Amino acid sequence: MAGTIVIKKPKRTLADQSYVVEITKGLGVTLKHFFKNFGQMVTGTRPDVTKFNYEDGVATLQYPEEKKPYPRRFRGVHRLTKRSNGEARCTACLMCSTACPAQCIFIKPGEYPEGHPSRGHERYAVEFVIDELRCIFCGFCVEACPVDAIRMDTGIHMTALDNRADFIFDKEKLMSFPSQDGDFETSNTRVEPGDKAHHGITREQGH
Amino acid sequence: MATFKLDGKEIAFEQGDTIIKAAWRQGVEIPHYCWHPGLSVAANCRMCLVELVPGANQRAMMLDVLVWDESKKDYVVSRKPKLQPSCQISAAEGMEVKSESSEHVALARKSVQEFLLLNHPVDCPICDQSGECKLQDYYMTEQATSKRMRDEPNHKPKGVSFGPTIVYDAERCIACTRCIRVCEEVIQDPMLDMRERGNLFEIITSPGRQVDGHYTMMLEWVCPVGALTTSHWRHKGRVWLLRGTQSVCPGCATGCAMFVDVDPRENTAFRNRPRENDQVNQFWMCDDGMLSYERVYKDRILSATIASERAKSADAIRHASALLSKHKGRLAVVLSAQRSTEENLIAATMAKALGADLYVTGKAAWDGDKILRNSDQNPNRAGALKAADAESLPGVDALLKKASSYDCLLVLGEDADVAPEAIKALAGKEIVVLATHWQGAWTAVANTVLPITVWAETDGTFVNAKGVAQVFKRALTPTGDVLVGWEALTKLAKGAGADTGFQRMVDLRAALQSRGLEALVAKKLDGVHPSTGAPVSTV
Repeated sequence: MAGTIVIKKPKRTLADQSYVVEITKGLGVTLKHFFKNFGQMVTGTRPDVTKFNYEDGVATLQYPEEKKPYPRRFRGVHRLTKRSNGEARCTACLMCSTACPAQCIFIKPGEYPEGHPSRGHERYAVEFVIDELRCIFCGFCVEACPVDAIRMDTGIHMTALDNRADFIFDKEKLMSFPSQDGDFETSNTRVEPGDKAHHGITREQGH
Repeated sequence: MATFKLDGKEIAFEQGDTIIKAAWRQGVEIPHYCWHPGLSVAANCRMCLVELVPGANQRAMMLDVLVWDESKKDYVVSRKPKLQPSCQISAAEGMEVKSESSEHVALARKSVQEFLLLNHPVDCPICDQSGECKLQDYYMTEQATSKRMRDEPNHKPKGVSFGPTIVYDAERCIACTRCIRVCEEVIQDPMLDMRERGNLFEIITSPGRQVDGHYTMMLEWVCPVGALTTSHWRHKGRVWLLRGTQSVCPGCATGCAMFVDVDPRENTAFRNRPRENDQVNQFWMCDDGMLSYERVYKDRILSATIASERAKSADAIRHASALLSKHKGRLAVVLSAQRSTEENLIAATMAKALGADLYVTGKAAWDGDKILRNSDQNPNRAGALKAADAESLPGVDALLKKASSYDCLLVLGEDADVAPEAIKALAGKEIVVLATHWQGAWTAVANTVLPITVWAETDGTFVNAKGVAQVFKRALTPTGDVLVGWEALTKLAKGAGADTGFQRMVDLRAALQSRGLEALVAKKLDGVHPSTGAPVSTV
């Protein structure tokens, strides 16, 4: 028939058909690696897992007891950075939730109470909720933030939790994570309302 | 019509028009802050400067200026034409005006823009105006350079409460005085004034006054920047997350054209803002109208009830239509001046088929004024009469007098313009009410209550006191067990054996059109972005 492709039946030797020879060969490969790993483990010569692309040998990672260190700029679970007085840096401008392609950030902005030094100058997030199940860890929120209030430098890999409600991280939880260096603030300076230092001046001319 | 040339384009004008107004009428925008088509001319922002080309045998008015010469590394003496504010120069036949095509105008606008931004705090991320701010718009189109001033900007009061609805930020203010002029010319109550000058200026409330009364939120609306914000929208969300829908205010018989701004992700209305309509409200709206979106949520009826027991809407419709056909002949239909013309049309057609008497009611009168607020609180009394094809219809007081001749009532809307106690006299009868809110007089005595949509949840037409018909469109999706008003009525009519023949909104509109009701539908909407539908700054 025109257009028909005839597939030849593969030839099988007697050794193939007997099964025993091939399975022994396969087990041989497994055992070779087993003894190599075992030997390296006993003698302490196992290659460094952080460099296993560069070193010879088989590196088996005993995950989750052992974890491969993540790069410094790994985008982990979000944190909300703090001001020197312990409040969140966030001004509830909604830039992050606007930029978020997964729409996983919910912010309820509010006005500072009467007498607060930031009243009139800034607003604050009454509620700040990230749905970590929806989050795709793209980092757009960090890019969008004009005040360096949200960061993904905690180094925490989002793991499985027991139930879905636990993935809804509120403001308190997001503020409880430090950075990889254990810092709750950021190295970027903040100009408090009333400070005699304009952003443009400090950044461009240094006075 | 007389014309003048703007950038080579012929612009028609009426006698007495200024250049900017004539151009604005043709949809050509000359950048401006202080000019507003509904207000007097202040000419203080200097943003609308244009170059006037001198006529034949006329000498141009020229100014000596110093211009930086890169080759000489020095300033050299040069000349430039004296620019004129287009908001103050009257258009004249054959006049030639250069706006976009003049390099001098471009430089002037850039300089004015830079000047206005000298002491601006640039707190756009937390400013509620951002997204519909003229400073932002013109920064992008006219300036687009970074700030050159290296000194500390002026600091002025922020977050000053001007009254229960308005909050003022002096640092963002550009002293265009639009708000002051609105108070004096439109509201006719001089609540605001200005003090100091130069970069120390500040808008203040008049001594011993605060900003109050029926027209305060309009001040926020005329403010071209974020200096005036309303306490209702302040710090609630962002403009670009909203979508504006063409609507009509349901507050009174004036029927102001407006937008309902909705966050579609949450299906929540966040604010109303006036839409320009020179036949009705020009550019203005009262506070009650601006806050009418709050009615969508307060005290809403979300499920049907039969004899005070919660029921499914479909069951309630079946029950109600059985009642209507059972009491055929001893039936009265009460139209509502609160509901759309389309709904009243179905109810009136059904009443005719069932041989029922027609009445009309609505909310009781309130305090009107000479500016916008009509003393009739109902947006559609004229439309209800038009739907019934009647010059006038009796009200609820007439119905109460003839109460003994009816066993069953079909009532549209929960409002009655008589005291709720008077309605109690009808308590023994089978009363079917299509209602939206619990606080109404009719729901207390109703046998069957059907939950229906409010105006923002469906399409419809309101005819105002002057007879101007305007279409409003669906802004929100109905929640709960709520039925679309006109659909519920067609089902009810069908069930009662009085099929009206109306199946779609277009059928209803065609029937209204055949009665000579031409409704205004804005084709081109100025207040929303053409592709996204998000609110944008207008005048």
